[in-house]
Amino acid sequence: MTKPRAIKGRGAANPHARSLLNGAKELLWTSILLVSSESAQALPDTASTDQVQARLIASIDAVYPGAKLQLGVNQRIIPNWHTYWKNPGDSGLPTTIQWRLPGGATAGEIAWPVPSRITSGPITNYAYSNEVTLLTSVTVPNTATPGSFFPIEATVKWLVCEQSCIPQTVELGLNLPIVSDGQTVGTGNPLIAKAQASLPVDTPWPITVRDNHNTTALQFGGPDLSSSKIAEISFFPDTWGRINHGAPQTWRPTENGIELTLQPGEAPVTAKQALTGVLTIMEDTDEGPIRHAFEVAAAPVSAHPAEKVDGEVLNLPSAIGLALLGGLILNLMPCVFPVLSLKALHLLRQAGQSKSAARLQGLAYALGVLVSFAILGGILVIMKSTRSALGWGFQFQSPVFVLLAANLMFVMGLSLSGIIKLGGSYTGIGNDLATRGGMIGSFFTGVLASVVAAPCTAPFMAAAVTYALAQPPIPLLSVLLALGSGLALPFLALSFCPAMQRRLPKPGVWMDTLKQALAFPMYATAAWLTWVLAEQTGSTYLPLLLGGMLALAFAAWLMQITRTSSLAYRRIATTLAALTISTPIAGVFLVADNAGFGSGQAQSIEKAANWEPFDPDRLKSLREKGQPVFLNLTADWCISCLVNERVALHVDSVQDAFRKSGLVYLKGDWTSHDPLITEKLADFGRSGVPLYVHYPAGKNSAPIVLPQILTPQTVLSAIGAE
Amino acid sequence: MRAIQHLLRNTLLLFLTLTASLAFAEPDIDKPAPAFRGKTADGKSIDLASLKGKTVVLEWTNHECPFVRKHYESGNIPQIQKQATKDGIVWLQVISSAPGKEGFVDGATAAKLNSERGSAPTATILDSDGSIGKLYGAKTSPHLFIIDASGLLVYKGGIDSIPSADKDDIAKAENYVKSALNELSAGKKISKASTKAYGCAVKYAS
Repeated sequence: MTKPRAIKGRGAANPHARSLLNGAKELLWTSILLVSSESAQALPDTASTDQVQARLIASIDAVYPGAKLQLGVNQRIIPNWHTYWKNPGDSGLPTTIQWRLPGGATAGEIAWPVPSRITSGPITNYAYSNEVTLLTSVTVPNTATPGSFFPIEATVKWLVCEQSCIPQTVELGLNLPIVSDGQTVGTGNPLIAKAQASLPVDTPWPITVRDNHNTTALQFGGPDLSSSKIAEISFFPDTWGRINHGAPQTWRPTENGIELTLQPGEAPVTAKQALTGVLTIMEDTDEGPIRHAFEVAAAPVSAHPAEKVDGEVLNLPSAIGLALLGGLILNLMPCVFPVLSLKALHLLRQAGQSKSAARLQGLAYALGVLVSFAILGGILVIMKSTRSALGWGFQFQSPVFVLLAANLMFVMGLSLSGIIKLGGSYTGIGNDLATRGGMIGSFFTGVLASVVAAPCTAPFMAAAVTYALAQPPIPLLSVLLALGSGLALPFLALSFCPAMQRRLPKPGVWMDTLKQALAFPMYATAAWLTWVLAEQTGSTYLPLLLGGMLALAFAAWLMQITRTSSLAYRRIATTLAALTISTPIAGVFLVADNAGFGSGQAQSIEKAANWEPFDPDRLKSLREKGQPVFLNLTADWCISCLVNERVALHVDSVQDAFRKSGLVYLKGDWTSHDPLITEKLADFGRSGVPLYVHYPAGKNSAPIVLPQILTPQTVLSAIGAE
Repeated sequence: MRAIQHLLRNTLLLFLTLTASLAFAEPDIDKPAPAFRGKTADGKSIDLASLKGKTVVLEWTNHECPFVRKHYESGNIPQIQKQATKDGIVWLQVISSAPGKEGFVDGATAAKLNSERGSAPTATILDSDGSIGKLYGAKTSPHLFIIDASGLLVYKGGIDSIPSADKDDIAKAENYVKSALNELSAGKKISKASTKAYGCAVKYAS
């Protein structure tokens, strides 16, 4: 085929010549070609073997000086045979193209369309069946002379296999006319555009790679990637040995997208050998499945041993076990302990009651806890499905929740102080009613215990909750209910076991004293939540919160002084009390509209002398400069975070060490919702604060994750100052 | 329902991964080489355990594969075999092609092919059920494995560094097997113990 096909092709593709000028140009080309065709081009643009028909094509029909064009080698392969991708997999060879171009012209690398996975027994290949076009971009030199030709020659070698393999070599040529810049160049072969559309594109979201020796995990995705539409996910490594080519690849939705688990191969990823390749996502649509393909190039986040304990290696049974243990220990935490003591006192007071009454109380309490945890789980499932990024204690990121919780704590305090009497159980109206009232009371004590438990993290809990948050609804709920069971268990055991009840100290005046004393942790909690709210929203909510407390106290007092008055007075008092309380409640609903998650969080982070607010870009640039960084992710409602800062981080010895080692201290505040911090937590397999990470000096240094409970010594030795 | 499906599917995949890895466990470098007993082309039986004390080379082969032909027709593999057997190394060709598939031969044909090609392995193992191939994770022909005198697997991978079917590339390539055997006899650690094998896929029965 010595006659240049390009002209013909152009004519066919563009049947209506748009202007006389164009027609004249074609005439000019044709005449040029007729003159030179006898000598210029020796190689045909197509060549066939028994298995493959190859054709050299271009994106334009004529070139001009300085032009950039795409050349394509189109292979049409007979059924059941295939040629190979740049990483052929377990056997095979990639196709190679050796270009011979006029002086000054340059050709780039082959742009490889997405391959298919072809598996035969234990052997997996990445290859092309039926048809493929391998693209190469070529730049025409500025010195090319219009009116002459641009001859292209290529030696194309491939291995084509079915049961047997045949290496084949063909020579292809194309001779494109050179026109001057601005002249019509034609539309080229449509197969080029088709091939360009089949190339992988850059990912719209960040991709991270985590390597922990037994598995290599790709984490990617964002809110626009809905797992319900995904039919299949595959990763094709473009380098031999990075993963086991044939091993199953499993994926699961996580808090921030998708995690694809791969089995490492014989030359697994390292900090220096990044994972590169193509990620394909098959999406179910109404018109059938659509394949999206993305370029991946990511060095692994080095997995510190501390991270492994926290998330990825857990399975459901161990997460449930840890959650149960965590729930048990939660009872001893300062947030829950007062509530539990209160409940135990209540049980003691009713020690004279029948065994069954005590048991019913225990069951009601446990039910209260489990229902609360189920509701929490339900909310998490719903919010996960809308892809809101969440973590343990997330409800404390809502100012309205904090406000209500502060008021609740205050009322609890008032009740313990004896200023108001909650529930009808002490009034002695009759044993029957008392038991029932006690049961309702027990149920709500369970709810209360769950509410106050949320900002506390007990040992073992972080790992279980982190695991649960990344799971589908059923495992997520199982883990949360296990946590609830752990929380409910001690009291349940107490109510079911008379022997244990007998071990408790005998009822007496001391109980009332203790009860009054327990009011103070409640007031303290209320005061702390007031501070959290102020940090979250500035002073906007403070009048509402403090006003609410005032109204509550006033209403309680009104009720108390009219307790023994006539019915009329009591009615007036009740009405007044209700009015007083409803004012701040109405206020809450008014502001609730515009006080979603995280309003006004900016105030809570001010640049202090010794630390900078966390910003991923800042962290990245510091890391690129090789500077050491200490990262503290915290929240005002996280008690252990505050304690750690007070006792271990913001102490002079540690601050001095930070300064001396030139370390940049970054602090991220998760008090209000902040997706950037949620993402960073996820990088380390965490779903909640605190997180302390030390990045030692050096560009590629592996980050060191510190424990969740800090001492100055832990910090100093982690940063190597000791 | 989706959650349950997801759970079921993940469990299934996990199960498949486990069974697949059991069925096709790839041996690790510096770990004991998997034990096997095979039938040889001359009708005898050979047992890896009985070769303890000697260096053993396993070479997966398929005489019809162009990559194998590259290294046999050029004399490359026969030459390494001769040198190795002269040095007291046991060189075993392994043919895992299933009956009816490319490269499958009977014992007589295997012997004839070797004499025609000037090839001199210690023995040729006929592994038509693919059991030894799968035990070692042999994927290509050629694919080479070296077991040291103490029975540890010390090399697995390709014959050389240039994956092509072109004889002209042999001289330019680094011969991984030659280097490994040299390092082994010099008592050194093998510098490139795991390399990319290239060639035709081993024609297993399934």
